[in-house]
Amino acid sequence: METSTSQSTADALDKGGILKNKIKVLKKMYPHTRSVLLPALHAAQQLYGWLSEDAIEQVSRLTGVTTADVKGVVTFYSLFKTKPLGRHVIYLCTNVACLIMGADTLEEYLGKTYGISHGETSADGRFSLVIMECIGACDKAPAMLVNDDCHFNISMDNIQQIMESYR
Amino acid sequence: MVKLTINGQEAETGRDSTILDAANGIGIKIPTLCHIKGLEPYGGCRMCLIEIEGVARLQTACTTKVNNGMVVFTETEEINKARKAMLEFLLINHPLDCPVCDKAGECLLQDQAARFGASEGRFAEGKRTHPENINDSIIVRNMERCILCTRCTRMCGEAQGAYAISVTGRGQHSFVEPFSHDKYNCEYCGNCLTVCPVGAIMSRLHRHNYRPWYVEKEIETVCGFCGVGCTTFIQMRAATIIRTLPKLGTGVNKGLLCVRGRFGYDYVESEGRLKTPMIRVNGVLEPVSWEKALAYITKTLKDIKTKHTPKAIGAIASGMCSNEDNYMLQKLMRFVIGSNNIDSTARLAYAPAKTYIERIFGAGATANVIADIEKSDGIFTAGGDPTAINPVLGVQIRSAWRHGAKVVVSGQPGGLGNFINYDLNSVPQHEETVLNTLVIGLAEMKGYSGKNPFLERKIKALRLPCEPELRATGVLLENMEEAIDDLSGLKRPVVVIGPSLLHAGIPSKNLFLVAAIAYLIDAKIYLLSKKPNYRGLIDMGCVPDTIPGGLPVRPGQLKLKKGVTMTVPAEKGMGLFEMIDGALDGSLKALYVLGENPVFNLPDRDKTEKALSALDLLVVQDIFMTETTRHAHVVLPAAAWSEKDGTMTNLGGRIQFLRKGSAVSAGKSEWRVIADIARTLGMNETYADSKEVWEEITQVSVLHSASEYDEIKDGGLMWPYGSVQFQGGAEDFIVEGLEILPEIKEACAAAPCKLLLLPERSLFHSGSTTRKSKAILSVSPEPYLSINPVDAGKLGLSNDDTVRVKTAKGSSVVTLKIVRDCPEGAVILSNTFEKVSFNALTGYTVDPVLGCMVFTDNEASLEKL
Repeated sequence: METSTSQSTADALDKGGILKNKIKVLKKMYPHTRSVLLPALHAAQQLYGWLSEDAIEQVSRLTGVTTADVKGVVTFYSLFKTKPLGRHVIYLCTNVACLIMGADTLEEYLGKTYGISHGETSADGRFSLVIMECIGACDKAPAMLVNDDCHFNISMDNIQQIMESYR
Repeated sequence: MVKLTINGQEAETGRDSTILDAANGIGIKIPTLCHIKGLEPYGGCRMCLIEIEGVARLQTACTTKVNNGMVVFTETEEINKARKAMLEFLLINHPLDCPVCDKAGECLLQDQAARFGASEGRFAEGKRTHPENINDSIIVRNMERCILCTRCTRMCGEAQGAYAISVTGRGQHSFVEPFSHDKYNCEYCGNCLTVCPVGAIMSRLHRHNYRPWYVEKEIETVCGFCGVGCTTFIQMRAATIIRTLPKLGTGVNKGLLCVRGRFGYDYVESEGRLKTPMIRVNGVLEPVSWEKALAYITKTLKDIKTKHTPKAIGAIASGMCSNEDNYMLQKLMRFVIGSNNIDSTARLAYAPAKTYIERIFGAGATANVIADIEKSDGIFTAGGDPTAINPVLGVQIRSAWRHGAKVVVSGQPGGLGNFINYDLNSVPQHEETVLNTLVIGLAEMKGYSGKNPFLERKIKALRLPCEPELRATGVLLENMEEAIDDLSGLKRPVVVIGPSLLHAGIPSKNLFLVAAIAYLIDAKIYLLSKKPNYRGLIDMGCVPDTIPGGLPVRPGQLKLKKGVTMTVPAEKGMGLFEMIDGALDGSLKALYVLGENPVFNLPDRDKTEKALSALDLLVVQDIFMTETTRHAHVVLPAAAWSEKDGTMTNLGGRIQFLRKGSAVSAGKSEWRVIADIARTLGMNETYADSKEVWEEITQVSVLHSASEYDEIKDGGLMWPYGSVQFQGGAEDFIVEGLEILPEIKEACAAAPCKLLLLPERSLFHSGSTTRKSKAILSVSPEPYLSINPVDAGKLGLSNDDTVRVKTAKGSSVVTLKIVRDCPEGAVILSNTFEKVSFNALTGYTVDPVLGCMVFTDNEASLEKL
């Protein structure tokens, strides 16, 4: 029923049909089209770097879940990016355990060194910072994710070294 | 059954009931905010907390199932404290802007805060802010007021099946939003605002115009937009409509409405309403008094009758008008003037389809309870998108699908797109091949029951399509085979037939094939009806060949009350198309058009206009000036949907009350005006109100003879209205071209390629009334031509291009939209807007077997401007 003009721009996004094929494979692994939504969104994010409205429309069409529902899911999870972020995304936990173990000093360090606070991207486009609620690594606090890599027991001694490994 | 005690009272209830149901059953009210009967329990608002003996913590009554011997308390100090705490939490962020909130006075949160307290919060931080969104033309969102009960999103998903809104964000930054931040771009059914307990989702139509306590009068009536016959309520202050709204759980719609029913009613208060009768003097329509107008009509009718015999007079009945209106028109024509020339636009598809199906299966084959669709385990639809033609019926198909029913759609799935099991969307003109394959497949799977030998003989005569013919349909054979498998295993199947099935190819064959599917799987049949009272007008005898009640026209006497008899004229009546032809060749001199716009609603506009302008007398009774009134000699202002009493018969054969609400117009009830004319022409009967007309109907019509007026009140009166069903289905019928299958045409390789122009079945528009509704126009303001991306690519066209669409009948300039759902080889245009409309660009022929309308001259070429 919807005849939005962006349908054609969403098509243009997936020119080679890469996402279409990926989702086709994923669909076979799940019982319902709805259950394929999360992996499909991860695939789209991996492909495009972030989830634009066009990307959401595309995932919606390929999974059969309506655009509004996909948007609901995308905005719920902090691991989905709804705006373009830097080359590397730092997900820093500042929940109780991490906070006690010094996450606030790490946040301060990142702010000073790269000029970024929550949701911001450094001027050179290298890092973005996302402040997370618990990432489930309280026993190794303070903890953070950089892209898909986990880093535990971070301190002012090793943070520079960690950051340097991401160019 | 389970027995439990609630507040010391014994309660007995089903095993699957919740404590909330059990309490309601014995009259104990438990406060709720997120609970809606009919939707899945959510347990989100925590207002229904109750105490169960032996259970440590308070439980939610809406999600907890009953158990034998349970002891439940719903009002204790602890519970009240918990409820107060819950409200305090909700009020942390709720803005308490009740003085400027339209919901104040009927707000659940307000009511419960008043009852449980929590007027003072202990939360010192500021409230969250989120700007009110008034960028949508119909729905206003104020998400600061939202309490996240998710009634709206559950309604939108579970009940409506649209999934157009969703909770976005997380924690206290959760807001209910559509995909695009501003406009909803959804089906605009408005069911989300029906259920919103607070003022978070509100109608923009009467924003800040009223307070709920302004409502002085509330009338229960039936919606006047399509054949479903949804129950709706008109709320009035003085003589004006404040708003219309459904009530959850009531009527055939159980409280759901579609965009037309929910928002489209404002046409009745449009400035363009006719205010006075008019007579054409020297080519110009001039206002006159009622007396003068009626005197002119009766005199001219008398003259024509004497000069040319009664058969020179005809009438077109209205699917928008009540049974009483249509009966009176029929009486005027048949019993007073003495002419069987009466028909309506039901002739285009609904009436022929009904007659044909009843001929095969017997009377009443198409009279089925609409609620049974939801309970069905499999639905086959053909001939148009039910979610656009009869939206609330379409919603029931979606609902059935969600409960596990198999849904098989032949043709464009439209609004059922996400609710089908297989894609049987065939290339235009090849649908017949798909249907043919399904019938043969089902006959093999199910075998023959022998109940209808005529039908079975015809099924056996069908030819199995060969491989190239199957390929030409564009539908995968495996899809057809899986559809056959599914259809053959159904226990409570339903077949839904739309009008498009009769407008292309060989209508009798198409309809026979779908009837054969229904026969083989033993399905209930539903005929989609674009207008609210097509079924009623047929029952009222507004067809040339049957009298009220459906008996065939047999010349002779018909008994009316108190020994009065009426004469059924002997002369064969003319149908709609014959009347147009008759006007052209001079055999028809006068036409009485009741609430219909034939110039606009029939293809081949030039022909209809020529025909109508050749008449000696054209009377048009309508609420607006239309394309047809341009040719009228007399125009009479009619009463609109909300301004008259009467009865309507829905597509399933249920009779319901249409009740008078507003009375602002100068229009008069149609039947009164017609009765006045009839009396001047010799009718003796007088009627005080529409009930007396109905009583006469029960005297004349065999079908309605056993019905009681009061029965209509209690949820409607269902076919066969207490009468003895007359049998049918024992006779043979004609099918054209049983062994013929559509020709395979060479694929058109390059531009300029001819495309087939097809009519759009729009959810938003249903013809002449919706284009007078500001609300509907605000969401669907302009015509556009839909095209498939593949065809658009071939022709080098893109979205929003301005194109000239040209057919043998004319050409129009229109904006192009690329729509994935549009079948290849076709372009789709609506017939709603004056500027560009489908009917102005096409011609028609009349099918010799069914007498329905088949589109011609609809090969179109596009030219980019």
